[in-house]
Amino acid sequence: MNTLTAREIPHVDDHAEPGFVRKYLWTYDHKMIGLQYFWTALAFLFLGGGLALLVRYQLGWPNTSVPLIGWLLPSSVASEGAIVPGGYNMLVTMHATVMVFFVVMPLLIGAFGNFLIPLQIGARDMAFPLLNELSYWLYVLSGCVLLAAFFVPGGAPGTGWTAYAPLSADGAYNGTRIGQSLWGVAIFINGLSSIAGAVNYITTVVNLRCPGMTMFRMPLTIWALFITAVLLVLAVPVLSAAAAMLFCDLNFGTSFFKPSGGGQPLLWQHLFWFFGHPEVYIMILPAMGLASEIISVFSRKPIFGYRAMVWAMVAIGFLGFVVWGHHMFVSGMNIALSAGFSVSTMLIAVPSAIKTFNWMGTVWRGSIEFTTAMCFALGFVSMFVIGGLSGIFMASTPVDLFVHHTYFIVAHIHYVLFGGSLFAVFGAIYFWFPKMFGRMLSETLGKLHFVVTFICFNLAFFPMHNLGLGGMMRRIADPPVYEHLKQLQPLNQISSVGAIGLGFATFLLVWNMVAALRRRPDAPANPWHANTLEWTVPSPPGHGNFPVTPTVYHGPYEYSVPGMDQDYLPQNQPAPEGVRLAAH
Amino acid sequence: MNAASIPHTHPIEEAGHGRATPEASRFGMIIFLASEAMLFAGLLGGYFILRWAANGFPWQPGHAWPPDGVEVHLPWRQTLAATVFLVGSSFTYHAAEVAVRKGRSGLFWLVVTLALGSVFIGFQVYEWIHLHHEGLWFHTGGIYGSSFFVITGFHGMHVAVGLALIAWVILRQVFTRCYTPARHVSLNNVGLYWHFVDVVWIFVFTLLYLV
Repeated sequence: MNTLTAREIPHVDDHAEPGFVRKYLWTYDHKMIGLQYFWTALAFLFLGGGLALLVRYQLGWPNTSVPLIGWLLPSSVASEGAIVPGGYNMLVTMHATVMVFFVVMPLLIGAFGNFLIPLQIGARDMAFPLLNELSYWLYVLSGCVLLAAFFVPGGAPGTGWTAYAPLSADGAYNGTRIGQSLWGVAIFINGLSSIAGAVNYITTVVNLRCPGMTMFRMPLTIWALFITAVLLVLAVPVLSAAAAMLFCDLNFGTSFFKPSGGGQPLLWQHLFWFFGHPEVYIMILPAMGLASEIISVFSRKPIFGYRAMVWAMVAIGFLGFVVWGHHMFVSGMNIALSAGFSVSTMLIAVPSAIKTFNWMGTVWRGSIEFTTAMCFALGFVSMFVIGGLSGIFMASTPVDLFVHHTYFIVAHIHYVLFGGSLFAVFGAIYFWFPKMFGRMLSETLGKLHFVVTFICFNLAFFPMHNLGLGGMMRRIADPPVYEHLKQLQPLNQISSVGAIGLGFATFLLVWNMVAALRRRPDAPANPWHANTLEWTVPSPPGHGNFPVTPTVYHGPYEYSVPGMDQDYLPQNQPAPEGVRLAAH
Repeated sequence: MNAASIPHTHPIEEAGHGRATPEASRFGMIIFLASEAMLFAGLLGGYFILRWAANGFPWQPGHAWPPDGVEVHLPWRQTLAATVFLVGSSFTYHAAEVAVRKGRSGLFWLVVTLALGSVFIGFQVYEWIHLHHEGLWFHTGGIYGSSFFVITGFHGMHVAVGLALIAWVILRQVFTRCYTPARHVSLNNVGLYWHFVDVVWIFVFTLLYLV
């Protein structure tokens, strides 16, 4: 067993303390790049949230002037403080684009991916640190390009985040040729950033694991991010191709998506959703990984069915590429084809159910600690189940034809994307904040944040199911104009009140973080008694992460091992003689 | 866990210094090329739908390509010649890699590769100008012009990037002699990219010119 002992790295720590620019703006340290993503994406979260509140205000109290900030809105969006229909479309489009590409992906993959991958696999850094930093700045650049769309003639694009052709493909239809072009450019640059990041993650996970860290000893977080990166590499370039075609249609007079020149509007839908459905899993798989980690730690139990969890994610990733047609049932597609897409979509319920079952199996008879992180993780599981179940409705073509263009689908997407992905992100912030910044977040404030968020989230999004089944269409700026929606207006107002509460609840998180950052560093190396490698080094970890390359002896979820005094066993500690571990 | 499965030198020790191991670099390049392949799959998949799935296959009635009203004469003989040059440049690049592995500079073959690639780009530019004179451009010729110029344009940009990379490799070798039999990571990676651009061209040439 002598060869298993950790070896000293022939590495002299002669790095001088870098200046401001080299430390915060142009750094090769994966931890700082993760934090760059973290803060930028949080800023975008407030921007996207603000756009959502404007949308909700218009739906709750149509055509009245927006209180407090109405006068700030550009003339393409509002007139005398009241949102105009075209401006409403811009708000919806920009809200969704910001949330998908500039908040959820960067938070899950950019921030937590960058911060956790090298730390959890025992590496000093990513495989390509320069590419990593480049990826962050491309993300910032794409964000600037997107936001610039608000300030160009015609205003921001208003064709929805899906930018369906032919509306999106011809400036004469949408009236926002420049804005829509900027949208395409932003998506293209953002895609470059994602691909750069994903190449880095895959290479790092495959090549830089520390001795003993076999693939099946990796934390589920890493598995999730690894599979996500594979999806990114294969799906994002297809959207880039589509965005390039759209840009040419708008500016060079090509006719890929314009019927006038023989083009196919449906081609856009195929290309977009070939990317778009893997994208859905790109945004949920890392959340599943983060939640699995938190749930196992605070149940003080090994994750139930580790390998099943891994293979379920692989299955979800694979199936993600053969279900894109279920977004297009209402496009008039061939009925046999839609039946095929319907079946492949319903198959996804199997691995998703495996995961849900295993999370419950993990919690079952555990010594549960209801920390804020655990509350959010359990919230993630329950909200994901609701969103998953409404997803099965839409997988069935006959039902989908009825509910697709209604608020039912808006409820569905928000249950999986906010109740799913963002709840997991919030949980992960409470869980890893000590490691990222060396300070504990207040549990009291955190619990308050969770309770208010949980209540307001359901207040905001649950009524949308009823609104949708009551016949409220997506993307209408003024519901009470329609006779059959007048009676549903109170539901819209409840939803808007919930949304405003949700927005303000997020300030509790900011308050908590700011207060923590103003305190003295107080976080121990391993505040949650967790097993993974990042908890074996100080909070925050120093340059190069590990003073000595760690050696891993067993899987990451050895909690409450029978026969041991302490209820956790870090991955870099061998099991005592005679103790039987849950996994090898 | 048996001790034998733990490698004696580990790539982890080289990481964290802005320098990946040769294996990791090569692996990363291959992953990146997989992503590039999906970009062209998206473009060519779109072409497939526009030309066949929507317009009818050749054995179906009403099939016409180029679409009615579009008069095109692709200079396919010249393009075939250009194709020979481009494919040949893959072999000359390989010859450069072999030369470096044998301890020579490889500069001769690198310069030949650069020249062949430049000739290809020259042909493409000439072809675009020729078609433009004939009245075919992005906005004329409907989906025919759209897909022809966007797909060859995307490929041409990739060739241009490849040429820039080869020029960079040449300059590095001239001034620093950094490619040795023991270590020539970026030489290999640029080679992978160059071969990839070649293979893509075979698909583009077949689908746009021959079928």
